[in-house]
Amino acid sequence: MAVTEDEVKHVARLARLEVGDDEVVALAGHFNLILTHFERLQEVDTSGVVDVVDAVDVTPWRNDEVASWDGRERALAQAPDRDEDYFRVPQILEEA
Amino acid sequence: MKLYARSAADLARSIRSKEHSVAEVVEAHLSRMERMEPILSAIITPLKEEARARASALDIALSRDENPGPLTGVPFIVKDNFCTRGVRTTCASRMLEGWVPPYDATVVRYLEEAGAVLIGKANMDEFAMGSSTEHSAFFTTGNPWDPRRVPGGSSGGSAAACAAGYAPLAFGSDTGGSIRQPAAFCGVYGFKPTYGMVSRYGVVPFASSLDQIGPFSRTLEDLLLAMEVIARPDERDATCSRALRPDFRKALDVTDLRGKRVGLVKEFEGYDIDGAVIESLRSAREILIDAGASVVDVTLPTVGHGLACYYIIAPAEASSNLARFDGVRYGFSAEADSLIELYHKTRQGGFGPEVKRRLLMGTYVLSSGYYDAYYNKALKVVAILRGEFDRAFSEVDFILAPTTPTLPFRKGENIGDPIRMYMSDLFTLPANMAGLPALSLNGGYSEGLPVGIQLIGPRFGEMEIFSAAAVIEKSLGLPRLAGGVL
Repeated sequence: MAVTEDEVKHVARLARLEVGDDEVVALAGHFNLILTHFERLQEVDTSGVVDVVDAVDVTPWRNDEVASWDGRERALAQAPDRDEDYFRVPQILEEA
Repeated sequence: MKLYARSAADLARSIRSKEHSVAEVVEAHLSRMERMEPILSAIITPLKEEARARASALDIALSRDENPGPLTGVPFIVKDNFCTRGVRTTCASRMLEGWVPPYDATVVRYLEEAGAVLIGKANMDEFAMGSSTEHSAFFTTGNPWDPRRVPGGSSGGSAAACAAGYAPLAFGSDTGGSIRQPAAFCGVYGFKPTYGMVSRYGVVPFASSLDQIGPFSRTLEDLLLAMEVIARPDERDATCSRALRPDFRKALDVTDLRGKRVGLVKEFEGYDIDGAVIESLRSAREILIDAGASVVDVTLPTVGHGLACYYIIAPAEASSNLARFDGVRYGFSAEADSLIELYHKTRQGGFGPEVKRRLLMGTYVLSSGYYDAYYNKALKVVAILRGEFDRAFSEVDFILAPTTPTLPFRKGENIGDPIRMYMSDLFTLPANMAGLPALSLNGGYSEGLPVGIQLIGPRFGEMEIFSAAAVIEKSLGLPRLAGGVL
């Protein structure tokens, strides 16, 4: 099953990445090469595997306690576009 | 012996006994770094002034007879994906070129609380995606044994810096081999702890179900000392175990491996492995047998599918983790007229080609229609592989394996062939997928290049690995300092 250049463009849109027309050809080639590699996984019989979550990995809970953090200004200082205590972004909704 | 050639344990002792000041120790390492950097380019951000200020503060505390920590005055380096408050953390990416974290990674905090002095932040493959450090957006790093060759990756800067004597301790992250493979290529110890042994809080995530943090060192004692400092519970990483850790340094006393069973993986015999690696494995096996261990063949029938599983699961998780880089709150942000355009242009301009390749692959395997065929299938195959490891560890105490199939390759040799580059992690990534602890140690040298071998243990079976490593170190001696003649 070969991945087409249109599919690469579709995936790029999903990943919020712009890909140039020159890149699309190379990426489709890479996709197909690596997917051929992945195809071999179908040889593994996984019908007996019911639960892929390892019970040992169940994480412990901590108490939900309020703590203070003095990093608010340091965090906001990294904003590419800031308006007082807000991060500014370009307009999202069209005006009615 | 020159101060920069000494171990962390040795330096800490001579600082405690006031034989040397912290300032002297730090200065010796800074000047070693200054001399070697034009050749190696291992460091993205050196912290000379910060380190000097910290050294004088520590010297003042010592002169007041304040109780020193276990690493007081010991210089260390971290990979540039460890958050450091007030010091930029780039992940070797244009995306974070000017980003200054508002907090420290837990591991950095634990090391500083123990008295260690951060002297630099090391080069890496962008967002830890790569096996040669050639995917850094800034520059490539040289191997300290031959600067025309790569130091491995993704933690290549940390490994090179430790090997060349910038600092006796360096730290990295390992998602598929990113500590062990560069450790092998640079001739130092590199350890990936059990998943859950060390907090990942504040280390920029790549694939969260696989990422672990670990140390590089030039002696086993230093490695275990570092583990005692960093392997502690942390409420800020929910996967970090709350159980008590063993006294890792007790392993240093082990000389006798009678009753211990060493596993050799049958399936690995069929792989294309460099002769020097096979030779080092053979001599390590003899050392272990001489110490009383017995050798047993184990079988991991599914291990050959590890590479495919890894290159489905890791990019899938990365595509989710790296969605946070949207140009809104921090990091690179492109000019745009709409929000969607801001996302596209920011991510297009901020990420390099290998990161983009993996984000696209990760998005593809998670997209509707392919989720079951690839992502879910890979998770199920990994569940089978975990079961195979469990069975193997019911028969053996630890596994002896190669770290890498080859010796350090030349810069540019694999950069145009991603699959060949991925093959470099063939022997390291099974431990990530099964959450196992694994150590790469120097097993000798071939034509001037170091040869790495790997010990893999059961979950939380760190002591099995360290005991075997202690026996091997006593027989082979310490790895050599690299770049002595440069």
